[in-house]
Amino acid sequence: MRTVWAMIAALAAVAAVPAAEPDAAKVEFFEKKVRPILTAHCNGCHSADTKLAGGLRVDDHKGLLTGGNTGPAVVPDKPGEGTLLRRITQKDEKRRMPLEGEKLTDAQVETLSAWIKDGAVWPAVGVPASFGKTKPEYEELKKTHWAFQPIKGSRDPKGSAEQNPIDDFVRTKLTAVGLKPAPVADKLTLIRRLTFDLTGLPPTPVEIDTCLADDSSDALEKLVDRLLASPRFGEHWGRHWLDVARYGESTGPSRNIPYPFAWKYRDYVIDSFNADVPFDRFIREQIAGDLLDAKDKAERDHLAAATGFVALGVKDVNQRFKVRFQMDNVDEQIDVVTRSVLGLTASCARCHDHKFDPIPTKDYYALAGIFTSTDNASGLRNQMGGAGLAYYDPANLIATATAADLPAVPPEQLDKLKAEVAEVKKAWDAIRGTPEGLKPAANGQPTQRPFRLKYEAKQAELNALTDPAARGFAVHGVRDSKTIGDTELRVRGEAEKLGPVVPRGFLTAFAVKDSRPVNAKESGRRELADWLTSPHNPLAARVFVNRAWAKLFGRGIVSTVDNFGVTGDTPTHPELLDHLAGRFVADGWSVKKLVRTLVLTRTYRQSAEATAEAKKLDPENKLLWRHAPRRLTAEEFRDAALLAAGELDVTRPKGWAAPPLQMVEMRDNGPEAKQVHELADKSKARSVFLPLLRGVTPHALEAFDPVDQTLVSGRRDTTSVPGQALFVLNSPFVRRQALTLAERVLKAEKADADRIATVYRVALGRTPTEQEVERAKQFVAEYESAAKDEPPPPEPPKAVKPKAKPKKADDPNQDPDTIDQTGEEVDAVVVRAKDPRTAAWMALTQAVLGSGEFRFVR
Amino acid sequence: MFPISRRDALKSASAGFGLVALAGLLGRQSAAADKPLAPKAPPLKARAKRLLFVHMNGAMSHHDTFDYKPQLAKDDGKAGPGGGVLTASKFKWSQHGDTGSWFSELLPNLAKHADKLTWLRGLHTDTPAHPQAVVQLHTGSANAALTRPSLGAWLLYGLGSENQDLPGYITANPPPNFGGAVNYGSAFLPAHFQGTRIDDRGHLPNLKTTSGTALQRKQLDLIQAMNRDLAATGSAPDQLEGVIQSYELGFKMQSKVADLLDISGEPQAVKDSYGVTDKPNAAFARQCLMARRLTEAGVRFVEICQPGWDHHNNLHKGLLDRCGSIDQPVAALLTDLDQRGLLKDTLVLFGSEFGRQPTSQGKDGRDHNITGYPMFLTGAGVKPGVTYGATDEYGQKAVEGRMHTNDLHATLLHILGLDHEKLTYNYAGRDFRLTDVKGEVATAVLS
Repeated sequence: MRTVWAMIAALAAVAAVPAAEPDAAKVEFFEKKVRPILTAHCNGCHSADTKLAGGLRVDDHKGLLTGGNTGPAVVPDKPGEGTLLRRITQKDEKRRMPLEGEKLTDAQVETLSAWIKDGAVWPAVGVPASFGKTKPEYEELKKTHWAFQPIKGSRDPKGSAEQNPIDDFVRTKLTAVGLKPAPVADKLTLIRRLTFDLTGLPPTPVEIDTCLADDSSDALEKLVDRLLASPRFGEHWGRHWLDVARYGESTGPSRNIPYPFAWKYRDYVIDSFNADVPFDRFIREQIAGDLLDAKDKAERDHLAAATGFVALGVKDVNQRFKVRFQMDNVDEQIDVVTRSVLGLTASCARCHDHKFDPIPTKDYYALAGIFTSTDNASGLRNQMGGAGLAYYDPANLIATATAADLPAVPPEQLDKLKAEVAEVKKAWDAIRGTPEGLKPAANGQPTQRPFRLKYEAKQAELNALTDPAARGFAVHGVRDSKTIGDTELRVRGEAEKLGPVVPRGFLTAFAVKDSRPVNAKESGRRELADWLTSPHNPLAARVFVNRAWAKLFGRGIVSTVDNFGVTGDTPTHPELLDHLAGRFVADGWSVKKLVRTLVLTRTYRQSAEATAEAKKLDPENKLLWRHAPRRLTAEEFRDAALLAAGELDVTRPKGWAAPPLQMVEMRDNGPEAKQVHELADKSKARSVFLPLLRGVTPHALEAFDPVDQTLVSGRRDTTSVPGQALFVLNSPFVRRQALTLAERVLKAEKADADRIATVYRVALGRTPTEQEVERAKQFVAEYESAAKDEPPPPEPPKAVKPKAKPKKADDPNQDPDTIDQTGEEVDAVVVRAKDPRTAAWMALTQAVLGSGEFRFVR
Repeated sequence: MFPISRRDALKSASAGFGLVALAGLLGRQSAAADKPLAPKAPPLKARAKRLLFVHMNGAMSHHDTFDYKPQLAKDDGKAGPGGGVLTASKFKWSQHGDTGSWFSELLPNLAKHADKLTWLRGLHTDTPAHPQAVVQLHTGSANAALTRPSLGAWLLYGLGSENQDLPGYITANPPPNFGGAVNYGSAFLPAHFQGTRIDDRGHLPNLKTTSGTALQRKQLDLIQAMNRDLAATGSAPDQLEGVIQSYELGFKMQSKVADLLDISGEPQAVKDSYGVTDKPNAAFARQCLMARRLTEAGVRFVEICQPGWDHHNNLHKGLLDRCGSIDQPVAALLTDLDQRGLLKDTLVLFGSEFGRQPTSQGKDGRDHNITGYPMFLTGAGVKPGVTYGATDEYGQKAVEGRMHTNDLHATLLHILGLDHEKLTYNYAGRDFRLTDVKGEVATAVLS
């Protein structure tokens, strides 16, 4: 890491060019006279090290200019206008600042007044000298890095023996090292592989039989077309995109606030894959759906839901500083957009020029301006502390167009209620935070408490009447802000350290022919979306075809699927990648066509058969000498187990899977999470429809490397750890499916051999061999007799919990820091067979569900 | 093995950046290999083999417990620097041990360990709010836009697990909010490095067989027979061997981990020394006893947690209550670890995400303070009885031996034999560290 230190040192050495040189004498006056007053008397409650009383900070220029909850503290040149002078000179001692401590002297007040009158000058922030300058190493990379060069069309390889150009590209590389592709896999294997890869589910015995019975030469094509047309396709491929979109139904770290309408984005994604919405359009809708034309209200709402992509990120709502909250969210948005679509880590350029890729800080802030001109309408506001609905801001949601159809509230009723709210708010504001208000009342609680309760109850009443979200007519999404404009460079990424204004625009690492500059009257998301998905953008098509390839072949042509930058891997088959990208664009960005083409190649259809020679020459199978077996994802394992047990319900659940939760902080192992777990445990819907709050992974998905919902993740881990074994052996989920399947075959079939055959067919998609049938019979017999002799271990004792009932988390009056901290576990459910015979069959079915053959697709 | 550091990679890749990517890939692959948790030799001299963090969540008031300031007592009632009214502790203070360390009367048992403790008194952090500060204490960064791996995950990544039959990272009763699962998560590190959460009764999901061990063995034999059938085919997945092993390991863990977490068999005298009972108010005592057992069994990183220190009001009674629940068990834990020789290779860290103000908040409270607060270390790798760093005359701001959370992490890693600048993981094209681009080892406290 010395290199990094050296870079930082080098950066620091040249970093002293101020944004705009303020008058030196005025700065000196500030430093000598003004700053000491602020530091000694105000910083204790109003600085970066504090909780920021009233939302005001005085240790930062912008903090003073923007002010706190009651408006600007300082208006340059106008001592009469800001709150600073007013509050320090207030007659009422209870309101006069500093609240605790000595009153400022007349001389000190005079100094502050003079400073404000004289422009309230503050020392400028040094901007790195490299800002806005051409960097030779960047220019070199723009010319040389493969991913920034234009896509080289859909050229077909020459002199090919294969019918399909894709197979040709693969074959050529194999031949060059003396390897041969594996033989084509048998039809049964292909049926299972295709069904899992296209729908995330195993084929049912009926589906298998139908396809096997079809002798026609295009039987597989028919299967592929059927699978592509199935709604299950969008559920599975939509899930792939949700990984990339870091989809989560709550804010995540810090205070975890649910997003009750996130599911509308999830459904949008699934529907888009099912409808084969062209991928470029799909991206445009997610980034700028609100700006696109809609033919009716339904489409308007559909497009609004699409923008959840940008809004549903991880958020730190407990952030004290509004500007930091905004810039952190902008950063998160830049990260998700650039990594998902371009495979570039533009957010690395927030604090300094990108260390590897030619992305200067200037480009980052060109993008940032687009997002600072955009409302992140997730329904939240930042606030330091606060419980209940404190972070919920209904105005900061996107009300759906269909909400307009709601019956209007009679104006007189509304006016009356508004007046009542204003009245109780006035009372609350008057007492809030004053020594009087903080004084304990007879019941030991602060005197101000009832005032707050009254106000919040009234406000809630008003919300219920006026807030369409309360009735479900809302989405988390984005819209253009009221104020549109470019934003400033933030020195070292610090939100408050403003450098020069950077005009909005896009990355300059590569040129995109025919792209339009940002429309000054809009946020610029429309043009950003167009720039991203232009056929001339060298990355969007490459990145997506590579994602699809990785899902189908186990490894991307570029193995670092989320990183096409300089530190990413280089393509194993660059010409193939360009061929696919070119063809994808030429085919109208059709994902279904792309998938169809890929799975009908010989390369996809080859068997997983390995040879010692090939394993030695290319152990990672980079050259694709066989089909790479892959482990089921957490979702596939759960869905396949439910399906084998005959329990999977493929209908799409209506609405959100965790309806009782509001936009109120939840505790990751507290009562709210328990509620979510119980809902998830009960659900028989496909895994993509489970409640997916960040930090609260459903139990049934926990074992097999679930996706990290906080980060763009184009690739799942596939570890083999003991926790998975314990999950298979002991989890209520697996045991329940095993028991259900055992009971089913015991009831449905008469002969043991038939029972065993059914288990193999529903779980593994094949009939067992004779030896397997014998082994299973013997196992069941032995197990049954042993089970008669061995009584099952006693049920675990239920946890003893303290009697005291924790306060409800949505009590708006509760200090969040005093919320009950006791974890609440979901009581362990014991799944047991009713008799030794069922237990024996259950042990068999569970073993099959736990076998490597069930857990992997070949 | 360690991924190639960026420096090495850059050195050998003067023609391009290809190797930086390679380093990331190697890191990924070695992690995903068959035995990702196998113990790894630490690259530096390891002063301790494992870490036990006794987490006082909510910010314990150091003014009323550990950080004695005569000047604060003298200036009680005067205006404090930066505002507020200075408020001395209402509790009595006395000196203990040969070091003459000051403790308030709230912690009489812990005070008996005075000479064994190594104080870090100049700590400071970035955000005076629990959610961010707790997350920063555990992951090094409070930036919500990029969730980082937790300290324990980094330790497992760097050192593996000492005991293959046990989880290498166990966290008991972690705060459900304040970052929740992030505090023991693995973020972009592979998922098997994340912490295993247990409650104060040692409950771990899926740990216990419901069918009986002998029957389950029979079932497992069938699973393994099926797995071997598959392994014998030419189209077996490469990972199958790992799956087969994971079954054997998981099977063994059931009895071992369950036994380990079951404190009911401890001698009554031991239980009494910790104050362990079955009652809810002994939740933390039970955690302490479990912590000793887990440490003894070689769990690389154990964290136990006592919440409820956030005394904005009710400071007096609150401290009496909280200190009452931790004083005896923590003291007993240290004694027990010492008597069993475990302090020779275990490092213990004790403390909160930040401290509190010397000024009062309301009638009977103190507000958050991120500018100066103490934590203590004891056991392997540190000099007993040494104090490093100090706060000002009021215990408000760290003025000597200042240590940011990054410095604390650098020091912890160093004691465990890891160079915080070289323990990197390549994610999204960048080498990440627990300490980001900062961190200095407090060499003054090293043994």
